[in-house]
Amino acid sequence: MIARTARILCAMLVLFGAPVFADDAAIFKKAESTYKMFCAHCHGPKMVNPGTSSFDLRKWPKDNKEGFATSVLKGKGDMPAWGDILLPEELDLLWHYVKTRAGKEPEPFDSSQAVPPPQKDTPIEQAKAQLKTPGTLTACLAKNGGVMSSRRATGGAGMDYEVAAALAAELDMPLDVRWFESEQEEESTPIREIYALLAYEVCDIVPGFALYETSLSAFYQTRAALPRWDTKPDHLGMEFQVDLEPISVTDPYARMEMGVVYRTADLDRSIEKIADMEGLKIGVEQGTLAGVLTLRQGTEAMALDAVTLNPGPDFLWEMEQGSFDAALVTVGAYDFHKKQNFISTLALDEYRHPLGFNISVAMLGRKKAMRDVFDPAIARMIEDGTLQDLADKSQYTYAKPRQPWVQAHLTMQTIISMR
Amino acid sequence: MIKKFAWGAFAAAVAFSFVTPQTASAQSAQDLINDGSDPTSILTYGMGYGQTRHSAMNAINLDNVSRLRPEWTYSLADSRGQETFPMIHDGKMYVTTHAATMALDLATGMQVWKTIVEYPAETPRVACCGIVNRGVALYEGKVFRTTLDAHVVALDAATGAEVWRTKSIDFKDGYSMTVAPLIADGVLITGISGGEYGIRGYIEGYDPNTGERLWRTYTIPAPGEPGSETWKDGGDAWKRGGGPAWLTGSYDAELNTVYWGTGNPSSWNAGLRPGDNLYASSILALDPKTGAMKWHYQTTPNDPFDYDTTNELVHAEIDGRKVIMQANRNGFFYILDRETGELVAAPKFIDKVNWADSIDLTTGRPVETEVATKARAGEEVNYWPSALGGKNWSPMAYNPNTNTVFANTNVIGMNYKAVEPQYRPGVFYFGAEFSWDWPEGDRGELRAFDPVTGELKWKDGVAIPRYSGVLSTDGGLVFTGNMTGDFEAFNAETGEKVWSYNTGSGIVGQPVTWERDGKQYVTIANGVGAVYTLFSGDERLASVPTGGNIWTFSVVE
Ligand code: HEC
Repeated sequence: MIARTARILCAMLVLFGAPVFADDAAIFKKAESTYKMFCAHCHGPKMVNPGTSSFDLRKWPKDNKEGFATSVLKGKGDMPAWGDILLPEELDLLWHYVKTRAGKEPEPFDSSQAVPPPQKDTPIEQAKAQLKTPGTLTACLAKNGGVMSSRRATGGAGMDYEVAAALAAELDMPLDVRWFESEQEEESTPIREIYALLAYEVCDIVPGFALYETSLSAFYQTRAALPRWDTKPDHLGMEFQVDLEPISVTDPYARMEMGVVYRTADLDRSIEKIADMEGLKIGVEQGTLAGVLTLRQGTEAMALDAVTLNPGPDFLWEMEQGSFDAALVTVGAYDFHKKQNFISTLALDEYRHPLGFNISVAMLGRKKAMRDVFDPAIARMIEDGTLQDLADKSQYTYAKPRQPWVQAHLTMQTIISMR
Repeated sequence: MIKKFAWGAFAAAVAFSFVTPQTASAQSAQDLINDGSDPTSILTYGMGYGQTRHSAMNAINLDNVSRLRPEWTYSLADSRGQETFPMIHDGKMYVTTHAATMALDLATGMQVWKTIVEYPAETPRVACCGIVNRGVALYEGKVFRTTLDAHVVALDAATGAEVWRTKSIDFKDGYSMTVAPLIADGVLITGISGGEYGIRGYIEGYDPNTGERLWRTYTIPAPGEPGSETWKDGGDAWKRGGGPAWLTGSYDAELNTVYWGTGNPSSWNAGLRPGDNLYASSILALDPKTGAMKWHYQTTPNDPFDYDTTNELVHAEIDGRKVIMQANRNGFFYILDRETGELVAAPKFIDKVNWADSIDLTTGRPVETEVATKARAGEEVNYWPSALGGKNWSPMAYNPNTNTVFANTNVIGMNYKAVEPQYRPGVFYFGAEFSWDWPEGDRGELRAFDPVTGELKWKDGVAIPRYSGVLSTDGGLVFTGNMTGDFEAFNAETGEKVWSYNTGSGIVGQPVTWERDGKQYVTIANGVGAVYTLFSGDERLASVPTGGNIWTFSVVE
């Protein structure tokens, strides 16, 4: 009967979220089973234990509920913390069990708020608790990421670096960077490498993460190789594979766009679509999205006359040399070229192709408490121009993110029609 | 292209430099198979793939055992229970705690290297029965171990440097690892713990070179898989169906078969999971390369009592038949044909068993009493042996020459009532309320008995039960340790205690014996703790301090 009552009460407790107890026996029964569920296997049946490998709870002072709550919720020495598992009622029940000396010395049930219910940590505290190295935000950044990220003797530079530093400042912490370099192995793609870096907890965050459908979903059930990074232990060979885990991303902080670059002397028109470049000698970066768009959305005549070259920094240099007159490239690639070559004859038109990718910060799914701090910070930095300033400092042509945040899967249909 | 070429050349150079020195000191697959025949090394858990824990050495014997004295001691610098099985190779001893792996100099006990194991501070929440580790596996210059937060790790045997580390699963959902891994047919095999946390158990094979997982065999089938017809609840009980695999299996190289026991189905409330609940509480015969099941035998179908079948599977030849033997938690001693899984014999090996009368040798199923029926129906029952088992994890020894088993057993019952379990990840998922039924006198007995008939040869009762492993030798001796710290030797024929030495903390470790420069040694880890200390609340242990050491003994002239 008592058990039945306890069970009904327990159900009510769940329903109303507040303890409502009919009688002392029922309360004690519930306290006892809570104790058995969480504590008995270390503190002994009825709190009797040899006292050698854990604490003798029979000795806990009856007037120190607060100290009890603190030790239980936050952990103490060899005892793990229980704050993230226990419900507030359960803490009161455990206290009841301890205070009544396992029922031997009856006392009224004390659900008074003498002890404040366990406060939820603030988002910042929760985020801090998830960091790989306490007290530091660790970011993975590409070593040769052009205007987005590049390594310096101390620290680094580039838009993604600046954003990581700004986010570290939100947590009131220094930034530590793991500089990685893609292995460019056949099976590894940059996205898989980012998943691997996060899953292996090389760092807490990876900025510069492009949002498209497959980048968010496709990989976590598989394994992937790690890229190289500055402090990678020698024993982790290339064949070493990591189990991937689901990731989570912040709201985007910038947008990667494509624009038309032309030789200053040559642009005699305003461009509203790719086909408007007809008549100019066009360069095509082979195998890139910009290259495919140029060929698919340009006119037949343009395609016939186009110069096709390997992608990479040399592409715009060829243009500088006069191999062709205009090309669709990512804006960041143009920024990097300008930065490397102060004296340049190339210019970027105002036209932007409608297809672009929003850029956000990636982290492990189970560490997403960081998002609760980073999302509002990113919104604020877009709003008050901080991100524009950071971009200027990095010589990066900034574009704000645009809806939809995540680019849907690209089909040939989208590639042809999205002009 | 150039980059690739350069890398290829580099890799070849690295491989070369590793191969050359290793051939001298490798523990090849053949060495592991031969283990037990060379007394100067211990390369497999249980002293041989058959885990008999019997040694042909007899330099320490009934005549001189009284002169057994400590040779050296090494502090494990740890206050948890120490269950490590010491391995020996090439002048070094390899031991573990939950928090570190260590290599010791065999001659002096001095530390050669120590590599710390790090795991998150919350991990102990999911270790029901002790923050322990049971030891390493050795293979081709590497040392392998598992970690409490369910990772498998390979270290360089020479330096202790980490070679690889693979996460098996997220510990936060109640999974952990304490098992010493097994190398069989070149595959590193491990099993998962967590039977009291609503897990779905499994056994896994890893590539010892890379840490890549080669296979995972779940002990609880998903709907549609073979065995799923024994989960008749029609819901998702199987997802939290238990069947952990937390003790090291044995291996028959000739049959190329690994034998591994599985734990209780969960929750304990058997009424909520009608059916036999395969492959919980079972003995599995597996192909080491693929994890494929060759046969299975279930000891306690639809188990309501936490009768894990994880205990060691000891190899023997009985009437010319290759068998495995297990002293099961449920009080029966199972002998199965190693090739077919057929039940050969199943006598009781303890005095009081009340949940079943016998095991039917034709059906292989227990002939249960109403205690079992009532327990399933949710009535309060008093059952024997308790969830701690007729014998718990602490491994027995088997002397094939005298056909005698030596095992530390419990004399403990349990008051029990099934209740509705509540699932919360990483929290106990018992589904039962229980308390111990302590006997008037001794709670434990070291028993020597005939495996086929269960007939008792002798016993040594002890107030606080022993939870240490047992070692048998051709010196006519049986070694074990007790909870109050005595490392003890018994006359294998009569059961008379012929020697003991107090090590200063209780013993729950595994004794081994080995030879160096023609002299015989015995080694054991002390350090009180683990399941009995935690669950019993036995206050008589209040004067037994914690603190682990490796103790090595030899005979003084
Ligand atoms: C995994 C084993 C374990 C579990 C489970 C456990 N404890 Fe402990 N507890 C310990 C150990 C060990 C200590 C001693 C800590 C120390 O001082 O290093 C301890 C200490 C304590 C203390 C004294 C802390 C202080 O401030 O000195 C309290 C109070 C306590 N535990 C309450 C609980 C309660 C309530 C539960 C159940 C929610 C619980 N414990 C579960 C192991 C455990």
